[in-house]
Amino acid sequence: MSPMLTIAKREFRSYFDSPLAYVVFCLSFLFMGVVFFRGLLGFGGFWQANRASMQQMFELIPIGLTLLVVPVVTMRLMAEERRSGTLEMLITLPVKDSDVILGKYLGALGLVYVLILGTVVYPIVLFTWPYQLGPVDWNTVGSGYLGLVLYSAATVAIGLLVSSLTQSQAIAFFVTFFALLSFYFLSRLAQVLPANIGVVLNYMSFEPHFQPFARGLIDTRDVVFFLSIAALALILSFRALERRKWA
Amino acid sequence: MTDLMISAEGLSKRFGAVRALDKVNFQVNRGEIVGFLGPNGAGKSTTMRILTCFISPSLGQAKVHGHDVFDEPLEVRKKIGYLPQRAPLYTDMNAYEYLQFAAGVRGLDASTFKSRLRKVVEVCGLAQALGKDIQTLSHGYRQRVGLAQALIHDPPILILDEPTSDLDPNEKAEVIRYIKEIGKDRTILLSTHNLAEVEEACARAIIVSKGRVVADGPLDEIRGKSGRSRYTVVFNEKANGKSGAPPTATEVQDALAELDEAKGVRELPTDEREHKFELTSPEDTDLRPDIFSLAVDKGWTMLELRRDTQSLDAVFRELTRGDEKLDRGERWARASDDNDDDDFDDEDDEDDDQDDQDEDEGPDEPEDDEPEEDEAEEEDDDDDDDDDDDKEKD
Repeated sequence: MSPMLTIAKREFRSYFDSPLAYVVFCLSFLFMGVVFFRGLLGFGGFWQANRASMQQMFELIPIGLTLLVVPVVTMRLMAEERRSGTLEMLITLPVKDSDVILGKYLGALGLVYVLILGTVVYPIVLFTWPYQLGPVDWNTVGSGYLGLVLYSAATVAIGLLVSSLTQSQAIAFFVTFFALLSFYFLSRLAQVLPANIGVVLNYMSFEPHFQPFARGLIDTRDVVFFLSIAALALILSFRALERRKWA
Repeated sequence: MTDLMISAEGLSKRFGAVRALDKVNFQVNRGEIVGFLGPNGAGKSTTMRILTCFISPSLGQAKVHGHDVFDEPLEVRKKIGYLPQRAPLYTDMNAYEYLQFAAGVRGLDASTFKSRLRKVVEVCGLAQALGKDIQTLSHGYRQRVGLAQALIHDPPILILDEPTSDLDPNEKAEVIRYIKEIGKDRTILLSTHNLAEVEEACARAIIVSKGRVVADGPLDEIRGKSGRSRYTVVFNEKANGKSGAPPTATEVQDALAELDEAKGVRELPTDEREHKFELTSPEDTDLRPDIFSLAVDKGWTMLELRRDTQSLDAVFRELTRGDEKLDRGERWARASDDNDDDDFDDEDDEDDDQDDQDEDEGPDEPEDDEPEEDEAEEEDDDDDDDDDDDKEKD
């Protein structure tokens, strides 16, 4: 196994050696279950929509990822390593800095993907077995999940970047939280700003790039957008780790 | 195959305005166990972090096992086992998992790992702790786990940064025993504050102060570096002298201090039956006849008179005295010291090289107030990545 995968495996397992993964899983599914079926804070519930669609779920999950999952999962990635001094032990093993960054990234992303995978239960239970509530468009469900995969890849990379810049998990959490919240809802702010600024904000916002996936539309520009964000954040994380050499 | 395992040439490192290392040069050959000594903030950890490729030097070159630390960091890391200060480990793993992780990152296959594990468990005494969570282990056992991970790939070079810090005396003795054991067939660079450990484990020491190497050589050579001899003299406290009364401590101290060439007279702790004093003189002077004559003149009963080269501890204090004064803000150092050395020019005097430093560090009386290492802060406090490790030392 390559050093990168060894680090990723350790990182992934470490979530389950602490209560963190279990708490995140429980809260996430509880939050999602309540909001999906009952509706909350402007989100219409599944029953109110009264059609065989999972669009509500794909509108809901990115917000859950932004508000809770990604900030919690990524806050410790590098910050805790720096604080506890284990970074020195890790870096002085025969690994490249890029292996450390990618290993950490894959470990955290793996946990988020497991969480997303858990939501597959919803369409299966509602539209396949034991209930058949209508003819759902599985292609739309598939594109929604592709959107979630890409969205998670971008947001986890941003969380990793923030965690690379501080020794404090609390600071990493709040900065990631506000950064992701801002990026997600930038498009709504754009509506009240002058058109030229609004266009830029709208382009930078995550929501307009994610919505097509939720509606079953896979646009290459949106794919490239999320992949570019992920790549940029990973490169900056790598640079932040390299910074120790010259500080 | 070269015998040169570690070499540093003109190694310098700056953290912002702070010069942590200043043209450090040294070499370590195959099979040597070298003590790397210096007060807090002297540059020990910085040097070790450069040698392990954790940070890069601002100037100069370092090679480990023939590989440049800047150009071939992965090759360097494959050849070393490194135990950072305080052995930072993943506390969410147990000792076995941690060693398995370290072996996995180092690319050891399962069978090699098992055979190596048996060996390091035996050498480091980890059999009882292998299945326990690291967070439940004592500092001593954590150090052992840290040592084990440094040894798991059977490296030819070990770099150990204060492996005995935070340990109780029994644990320290155990760790030093391990180091001696594993050092039989390895090159070891051992950083520590504890000079007794160096005297026990190492044949050679490098002393750094203010980012410079101020002494490098066999321990006997370093002990003799100050060019002074040390005398221990013991008088009977109960026996009457010619004055008809037993000698008082003050009386003995004053009499010894009046001897020609005698310096640094100080009383050593002892029981109530004797006065024990220590003093020094230039190495080419022998004060023993004078001390004996003094005893005869005064009628004092001498119980012991011994002359030897200065202890490593005393030499260390002399060579690194400038660091202590800087830490205490004593820029107004005593007039007598002003004649001896330039302790406070390190930031300004670019021309002051190590040889000058050595020559300037003239003999002086040992200071009664032992340098307290906790007064100091590590040189890389400005480095927000690393400072936590370095601030608190024994």
